[in-house]
Amino acid sequence: MSNDVREHREELIALQPAETDVGARPEPDQDATTAADVLSAPPPSVPEGSDVDDSSAMASPASQPAAAETTHRRPRSPQRARATTTGRAIVVTSGKGGVGKTTVTANLGAALSDAGKRVVVVDADVGLRNLDVVMGLENRVRLHSLDVIEERCTLDEALVRDRMRRTLALLPAAQNRDKDEIDPEDMLDLVDELQEKFDIVLIDCPAGIEQGFRNAVGGAQEAIIVTTPEVSAVRDADRVAGLLPGDMPARLIINRVRPQLVRKGTMMSVDDVLDILRLDLVGVVPDDKEVIVATNRGKPVIDVSGSPTGAAIRRIASRLLGEDVPIPDFTAQQAWYARVLSGFKPSRPSTKGS
Amino acid sequence: MKGNVFVITSGKGGVGKTTTTANLGVALARLGKQVALVDADIGLRNLDLVLGLEKRIVYDVVDLAEGRCQPRQALIKDKRLPGLFLMPAAQTKDKESVSEAQMARVVHALGADFDAVLIDCPAGIEHGFRNAVAGADEAVVVTMPEVSAIRDADRILGMLGSRRARIVVNRVRPEMVRTGDMLSVDDVAEILGREILGIVPDDEEVIDTTNRGAPVALDASRRLATIYTTMARRLLGEDIPAIALHEDGLWNKLRRIMVGQR
Repeated sequence: MSNDVREHREELIALQPAETDVGARPEPDQDATTAADVLSAPPPSVPEGSDVDDSSAMASPASQPAAAETTHRRPRSPQRARATTTGRAIVVTSGKGGVGKTTVTANLGAALSDAGKRVVVVDADVGLRNLDVVMGLENRVRLHSLDVIEERCTLDEALVRDRMRRTLALLPAAQNRDKDEIDPEDMLDLVDELQEKFDIVLIDCPAGIEQGFRNAVGGAQEAIIVTTPEVSAVRDADRVAGLLPGDMPARLIINRVRPQLVRKGTMMSVDDVLDILRLDLVGVVPDDKEVIVATNRGKPVIDVSGSPTGAAIRRIASRLLGEDVPIPDFTAQQAWYARVLSGFKPSRPSTKGS
Repeated sequence: MKGNVFVITSGKGGVGKTTTTANLGVALARLGKQVALVDADIGLRNLDLVLGLEKRIVYDVVDLAEGRCQPRQALIKDKRLPGLFLMPAAQTKDKESVSEAQMARVVHALGADFDAVLIDCPAGIEHGFRNAVAGADEAVVVTMPEVSAIRDADRILGMLGSRRARIVVNRVRPEMVRTGDMLSVDDVAEILGREILGIVPDDEEVIDTTNRGAPVALDASRRLATIYTTMARRLLGEDIPAIALHEDGLWNKLRRIMVGQR
């Protein structure tokens, strides 16, 4: 077994007794100095010609509304002018679980950040959070969104900065709390505040259509629905599309397409899915076992060179930013020698022999 | 109470709860048992699709819970196997439309009439989860050898309290375990600290059979059918070993290379 997997296993074992201290506010350690860093960081490595406006939204933590120590929850702020917020808030949802919401959120966040945007990903799966694990940030999470809502910390203190990307941050969910403890208005307040400082807010929705779903959608203005080419996932996606507010633009990502199975006729094709769902397609992501490997290591698959999954997600990020990038046809027949060669493709040499 | 009501749960979605429920049900029916499968995923039901019974739904579990029909009217008999029945979920209602007490009453009534009752739990730990777990004597926690699935399974085990819970490790890819890219079943068992009920390899046949509404366990000639039959016998308390995954033979390796799969 390789060291990476072994390491994660140790972490999981270590994780079990750790989560006992529900409400207490832990000592922030150095790793947890987060949003303040993101926000006061030198202008990120933005590609030339990018349209990011850094100066205007560079609010310092001190300009936050002062936290009233006496109330348990932050006062609602209807006066916060939504018109001045520039960032986009996009919820990533699906209905069915396990179709790749969290993986898509983490990787899209990284890809959008690489494209020069300031991005925050919000884990809305209170009680079953995983976005921190997928991003490899689980050991840096000290505070969470409920700490912000209940005024135990400021939003900036709760944000966790990404390891590799200066312009990517995570707002973690609480792990030992209930989804019922947040309502859509709390979420809207949080997202409003995030939109002042970030260009894009990506909200990772929990599976299902209960309170957690309503909260996640409540904070967003746009939706991305993730599905896989399986009847149960498509049916749930259809149901979720119907539950979104009527004026919310919803776009579709078809995830985990296996070209061989589509060619054999045992998997639904992209067209089959679109026939049923009638949504605006923003991308098709081929299945790749690299995703499991990358996810277990807390590393985005977009950083795995040569991964078709990573390339597909980078193209989706471009499309979300308004670029006209064509969607390639993954199911086109490969030449026989390409198929044979792909069978002989060496597996990652780095994991051999450990 | 006979201790024959099992909830199939996982925390994380998409790990194979519904597929496991359907195939365990089929395997139990093929062993000659009377089995009722209850879909507790109100609003996002899928067990009917996986079993291919979606066109035959008239009444559902919400109707039964609210006393609008008799159990016999809501139960759909699977014509392929004597002894296999589905209690479908409502699709247009909310999970909040049924209470834990109502759900517990429904499954207890079924438990008295059937040899086994399997409840397909929705993903998450909200109202739907609490409903599904309410009437169950025992739990089967389905997980995958992935960090996020195991973390959610661990959380679920904490919420199940003192109930007996056994683990199904689903979608194992032996070749990835060998290369160190995937946790092994032993690792999963050690982390979760519970008895393993069964181990199921990742198999693309499952996608195909799910889309066609014919669970893979219906075809006795398939390798997965044997795995589910063994799991079903262990579920009912037989003391037989769980099937371990063995390495692929040379022929399968060659075939995978030629077809270029994965």
